[in-house]
Amino acid sequence: MKLMLFAPELLLLLGSLALFFMTTGKVGGKKARSFTLTLAIANIFLCFACLHNEGMLFFDAYKIDFFSQALKICISLGFAIVLLFSTELKGIKDEVRPEYYLFMLMSTIGLIMMVSSVELLSMFIALELSSYSLYLLVPMREDRAGLRMQMESAIKYIMFGVVATGIMLFGMSYLFGLTGTTYFSELIPAMHGLMGNPAAIVAVVMVLGGFLYKLGVFPLHFWVPDVYQGASNETTAFISSVPKIAAVAMLVRILALVTPEGKSLVTLLMVLSVCSMFYGNLVALVQTDIKRMLGFSGIAHAGYVLLGLITLQDSGYATSLYYITGYLLMNLACFLVICQVAQDGENLAIDDLSGLHQRSPLLALTLAVGMFALAGIPPFVGFMGKFMLLTGALKQGYLLLVILAAINTAISIYYYLSVVRVAYCNSPEQRPEVVVGGITKSVSLALVVIIIALGIAPNQIIQIATDVVRTIQ
Amino acid sequence: MSPSLLTAEGLSGLLFLSLVGVTLVGAVIAACAARVIRSVAGLALCFLGVAGLYYYLNSPFVALMQILIYVGAVCVTIIFAVMLAESDETKMPLKQNGLVGPLGILAGGLLAWALAALALKTDWHQAATKVNNGTVADIGQSLLTTYSMSFELISVVLFVAIIGSVVLARGGRSKS
Repeated sequence: MKLMLFAPELLLLLGSLALFFMTTGKVGGKKARSFTLTLAIANIFLCFACLHNEGMLFFDAYKIDFFSQALKICISLGFAIVLLFSTELKGIKDEVRPEYYLFMLMSTIGLIMMVSSVELLSMFIALELSSYSLYLLVPMREDRAGLRMQMESAIKYIMFGVVATGIMLFGMSYLFGLTGTTYFSELIPAMHGLMGNPAAIVAVVMVLGGFLYKLGVFPLHFWVPDVYQGASNETTAFISSVPKIAAVAMLVRILALVTPEGKSLVTLLMVLSVCSMFYGNLVALVQTDIKRMLGFSGIAHAGYVLLGLITLQDSGYATSLYYITGYLLMNLACFLVICQVAQDGENLAIDDLSGLHQRSPLLALTLAVGMFALAGIPPFVGFMGKFMLLTGALKQGYLLLVILAAINTAISIYYYLSVVRVAYCNSPEQRPEVVVGGITKSVSLALVVIIIALGIAPNQIIQIATDVVRTIQ
Repeated sequence: MSPSLLTAEGLSGLLFLSLVGVTLVGAVIAACAARVIRSVAGLALCFLGVAGLYYYLNSPFVALMQILIYVGAVCVTIIFAVMLAESDETKMPLKQNGLVGPLGILAGGLLAWALAALALKTDWHQAATKVNNGTVADIGQSLLTTYSMSFELISVVLFVAIIGSVVLARGGRSKS
């Protein structure tokens, strides 16, 4: 039945309509949150129920297949986790909290529709829906310090976003000019025949640019640290995790246009990968604000993800998807701790985590697991992901790249583990205990368990990811 | 390859070049004017040039929409914003390193050269001389069939933009 194909999107769209009507009345943040949370959890179940659906909708612009459905589950999970641990939204005024949830929901809808779009225009508009909602989340932070820091971040985010979007649209016009179609089903064979043509490579690079921006890859990373710092903790948790999954998915989809003949594209992505890793890791070393540090670490991780993409093979794409899913979980584990420790929604310096193991042992454990995983230490998912990315690149003969990535992993261990050291070895001094609610406790335990489980048994996940990637070829 | 100015091709080529010229001049004014209001005027000129190009390419409806929406709505909105914002008629302070200008011109020139060379060298897909009549009816039909999803999704994007601007501008529901 056609309705079931569109069921998750339909549920979220109807839900957002209901939420919109709620915001027109006098609804507090609490009600809006419980409504959105119910919706998000219902959506996860619906996504699982629709996992094996297949079909085309909207005059072939919208494809339901294993690729899109599996990614919808990841996106919905990320959305639900952020909602679960952002119990109070301390950084946002209560008056605008219903709208805050509305925008977060809209952004998720945009991402969910984007992974299903197989036509350039639909893909672009779905991306815009998600981006606009994110742009709005940033300046909604309460202006306590009177510095209007959130406005500056939002303007930076929009400006760089608009430039990236412009580049992407220009690239799309090239794709259309070369092939005369905007549908991926026709673009892929047409582009495979055009690989010797420099314009084809330029077009693909420009279209990739829009998503490399979302991922925060080196020359399009300028927004990352400022937005992470200026946005409230919960917003940053969302921006830094959920859109990145969709971005990697779209990178995979666009790279399907390229054959191994497009060597210059691979070289370019290699350079971007190395630059992202070095830039992110070296600048992260000197950060004192933990969100800024995680921002730079995110740039470095984007570089690692590119290692899988440059192989231009299903196995590499699958590893990239596995890695970014792992990154979502590790990153959310760290942000869960940040959101709980920041009692008033303020920005945390790394020193504010001092003695966390006495103030809240569970949060300290979650933070440690998250940081160890980000650093790439076994048995966590970050280790397995990096290991497979590096072996995948090595099999393709990119020895130098693998060495550089390994050096970067070593650099990054220092700043990740120094956070753990602060949390475990420093004394808490005057800092208060952190009270953690029951739901947040179970979420953090679940995150820890999943991070370890994905790291210990990666084979099944990689198998699924490979099946996922195969469906788009 | 250079038809006389008095033939139909020559005249249409001249028209094309002048439209491109208008667009470029408008863009330069928009980017370089010292006062915001002059930049807006340059932007309007640039939009008009683009509208002319659409008309030249046999899309009268798109050309009219370009004038209506961009020259009309967008520029007027920007002018409103300029008028409402505190503006003390001073020129924008230009405190830059002396190298910024030349390097910018160099980078922009290189980029323009590369893109132009690419465009000239590439064997583009043969453009259809005429897809359809470009009438409102044709456009409406494809908006509600082939591009139905994009069409509906755009309205959702606009919805988000409207709610967002209201939320940000009013700063909550208590102030009335």
